[in-house]
Amino acid sequence: MSAESVPTLSLESPATPAGRAPAAGPARALLTLAEGSAIWLLLLALWFAAAEYFPLGDNPLIPGPQVTARALWESLPELWTGTLSSFSILVPGFLLATGLGIALGIIVGTSPRLQRMFFPFARVVAPVPPTVYIPYAIAILPTFKLSAIFVVFIGAFWPIFHNAAAGAHGLEQRYRDNARILGLNGLEYRWKVVFPSALPHIFSGMAVGLAFSFILLTVAELFGANAGLGRFVQYYADFADYPKMVAGILYTGAITWLAMSGLEALKHRLLFWQR
Amino acid sequence: MSQSLILEHVGFAYDAAPILQDIQLSIPGGQFVSLLGASGSGKSTLLRLIAGLQTPSHGRLSWNGKNIDGPGLDRGVVFQDYALFPWLSVVDNIAIAIGKARPETRKAERREAAREQLRTVGLASAIGKYPFELSGGMRQRAAIARALAVGSPLLLMDEPFGALDPVNRARLQDLLLEIWEAGSGDETQKKTIVFVTHDVDEALYLGDRVVILGSTPGRVIADLPVEFPRHRDRRTLFDSAAFHTLRESIAETLAADTLRQLVAA
Repeated sequence: MSAESVPTLSLESPATPAGRAPAAGPARALLTLAEGSAIWLLLLALWFAAAEYFPLGDNPLIPGPQVTARALWESLPELWTGTLSSFSILVPGFLLATGLGIALGIIVGTSPRLQRMFFPFARVVAPVPPTVYIPYAIAILPTFKLSAIFVVFIGAFWPIFHNAAAGAHGLEQRYRDNARILGLNGLEYRWKVVFPSALPHIFSGMAVGLAFSFILLTVAELFGANAGLGRFVQYYADFADYPKMVAGILYTGAITWLAMSGLEALKHRLLFWQR
Repeated sequence: MSQSLILEHVGFAYDAAPILQDIQLSIPGGQFVSLLGASGSGKSTLLRLIAGLQTPSHGRLSWNGKNIDGPGLDRGVVFQDYALFPWLSVVDNIAIAIGKARPETRKAERREAAREQLRTVGLASAIGKYPFELSGGMRQRAAIARALAVGSPLLLMDEPFGALDPVNRARLQDLLLEIWEAGSGDETQKKTIVFVTHDVDEALYLGDRVVILGSTPGRVIADLPVEFPRHRDRRTLFDSAAFHTLRESIAETLAADTLRQLVAA
């Protein structure tokens, strides 16, 4: 009776994931690499040329690539300490926002009554730029670190909450029917059905939230930090040490990109079932 | 008569537009009923009412003497597409259903029972896979396996093979009959099946009885016994004169209803 066990008769072959590009040859891979790096190479060439052929070497505002690279190399220990300091604000703030944003978003998104209670409130409060809370948070909370964590949390919370609630609210009818037929309800329904189906939305919210977190983190550090990535840039700007400042900007950019790529990789891993 | 599905004066309206009107049906336990109708006849809505996914505007439904007022594990449902959760493996999709039907079982037992169920529907190859790795036919087999694993005595199927190619459709029809007839040794074990389709051949090949719904609003316009002997052979049946006669009369019934609608409009 099991036709699948007879390979020659197996008409129902497993579906090949659609939409994936055909296996790329080495030439294709090389082209993709060239396309992806073209703008970088162009900018780098312009930067070299500018430093070489224009009197930029004398202009302290625009340090050339070699000067900047040396400054970056020399600052690496300090930048690493700054990274640790910044991450001790970013990580707790962002994780707290992720945890609470997902949990509350799913609870609110699955309850029409809570939606009627929360959404009018969120519509007013969510658009307030979290940067305006920074001075007050610093005044109210006992340490700078706590106030910075709070501001990062606020900034990351709303996009994650909003997306989790929208994802939960927009649960497809067929999954809802399915869950009802199986008698899944309460916490089990939210954890095993609503949460996974809302994950694509949640990851969009987390990406926005993480980008916000970096902005808020560096802005907050301008106010009162004694270490950190934003603080590093501000500090050397105050001393007009532009090579170190530019090195700090490049380093912060790279760290942000790494963090976003990490989130993207996690998304790719958890959403393997999405074609 | 231990089990039966009874619909009394069932009506359903959506935004004041009548979808179903005064449906009266009595389906004895163990019967295979094909619910045949054109699109818009409300046949899927009727199935959803029996499943308890929707509440009738009029009348009442009962299964085994119990009023239907919501979904329950005493009624299994197989939908046309993707009744499986894509984020769970095929085995876990079935295991989660077993967990609800038999909460006393342990996780490992549920998984083993799920694998066993997959083997009985010829899907041993799907063990360890996710729904997106399966073809449409394999997914429907898995959906059937899940409904069987719960052990509901009533199986509601909403055009379950409607999206499949003809070869796979025929194979799954045969599989369904095989499973259903396997329960016939003991009449109390035999499942009651309500099978929604718009395909006349499918309705006649599978059913003990064909209930035909007319359109706008949906109502029963014919209720015919299908008395071909069981363990039916597709080819002999489709070539028989009796089959052709019944098929023609159903086609005429459906055509007359379409004409009535056109005249009304």
